[in-house]
Amino acid sequence: MTDVRLQVQRFDPLTDAKPRMVDYDIPKREGMTVLDALLYARDYLDHSIALRFSCRQASCGSCGMKINGRPRLACYTQVDELRSDKVVAQPMDNFAIIKDLVTDLESFFSKHRGIMPYVIRTDSAEVDHPSAEYLMKPEELERVLQFTYCIKCGLCTSSCPTVGTDSLFPGPQALAQAYRYLSDERDEGGKKRLEALDTAHGVWRCHFAGSCSAVCPKGVDPALGIQLLKRHVLGGKAPRAEGAAVWKGEAEPAKAQG
Amino acid sequence: MRESRLMLVQYVTAVLAIMLVSIHLVMQGVIYPYATAISYGKILSIYQNGLYATFLEALLVVTLVHGFDGVRIILHEWRQTAPWSRWVDIGTILAIVISVSYGTRTVILAVFGVPA
Repeated sequence: MTDVRLQVQRFDPLTDAKPRMVDYDIPKREGMTVLDALLYARDYLDHSIALRFSCRQASCGSCGMKINGRPRLACYTQVDELRSDKVVAQPMDNFAIIKDLVTDLESFFSKHRGIMPYVIRTDSAEVDHPSAEYLMKPEELERVLQFTYCIKCGLCTSSCPTVGTDSLFPGPQALAQAYRYLSDERDEGGKKRLEALDTAHGVWRCHFAGSCSAVCPKGVDPALGIQLLKRHVLGGKAPRAEGAAVWKGEAEPAKAQG
Repeated sequence: MRESRLMLVQYVTAVLAIMLVSIHLVMQGVIYPYATAISYGKILSIYQNGLYATFLEALLVVTLVHGFDGVRIILHEWRQTAPWSRWVDIGTILAIVISVSYGTRTVILAVFGVPA
């Protein structure tokens, strides 16, 4: 069994003046992920390493960090695929550090909430008591499907050069989600969302670096979503008028239990 | 004005600038030999052509609007306070108006002659 040198950036804003790198030698095993290596270091070598993780299967988006200089999910990155005898783990860029590898995602989720990531309907009576199931046509679903795969890990935002300079820029995650809901035929919140996005610090500050799409662990293409959103804002596809018809699927009879 | 309208202006002026600058370079480097094209007398005679004077005025407006709007975008990304944003917008409008006015004055003087 060979060892791999794990280098972790340690920093506690309450006590440290600046970050420092600390080395740990980890016994490598086949299939070992960077998260496994970090947990080994925390469990057996240094209990004070702070990191965030949960599902260990690239579903929850908790373990986003910079690994060997690139934003990745620690649980979705095997040590072997890095093709290096050294693994460098650092917190994501563009986020404040809470401690070590744990970053503050408050602003990230606040921007996500800001684009109202849900279907907005104006017919409240119908929302409360729907007369049918509001289905999407397959071609409509195809248009937005990839954007629904977002797990909100923040890797795209950490790689975005505009987020690094403009603190008011919503970031690729929020903008891609804005496109996802704006292009949903059932949604009637177009005008409301566009007011928040069509500003000096909104969607137009994306300069199409494309790094967001390059680092997404779920294969989402936020850069594409943002360009489609720009077209949408310019009138390529007007927001749906209130009360416009949507395809109401046949209400399925309730299946008998048992 | 909404940012989308400003960006539309930015995109349109970008396309126009490519076309106008290309024509300008062809005129200065190909149709007229460069050494001749930059002589005072030749420049004045070119300005006397109404069509070319109009073209130069369009080139002036398009490149200045595009350039200053580009600087406005960079400055907006530089700092994000409300007063800064307001002054950047005001400064951009002033810069465009002053530059276009001064350039237009030059075109007018070249076309109609310098008053004695």
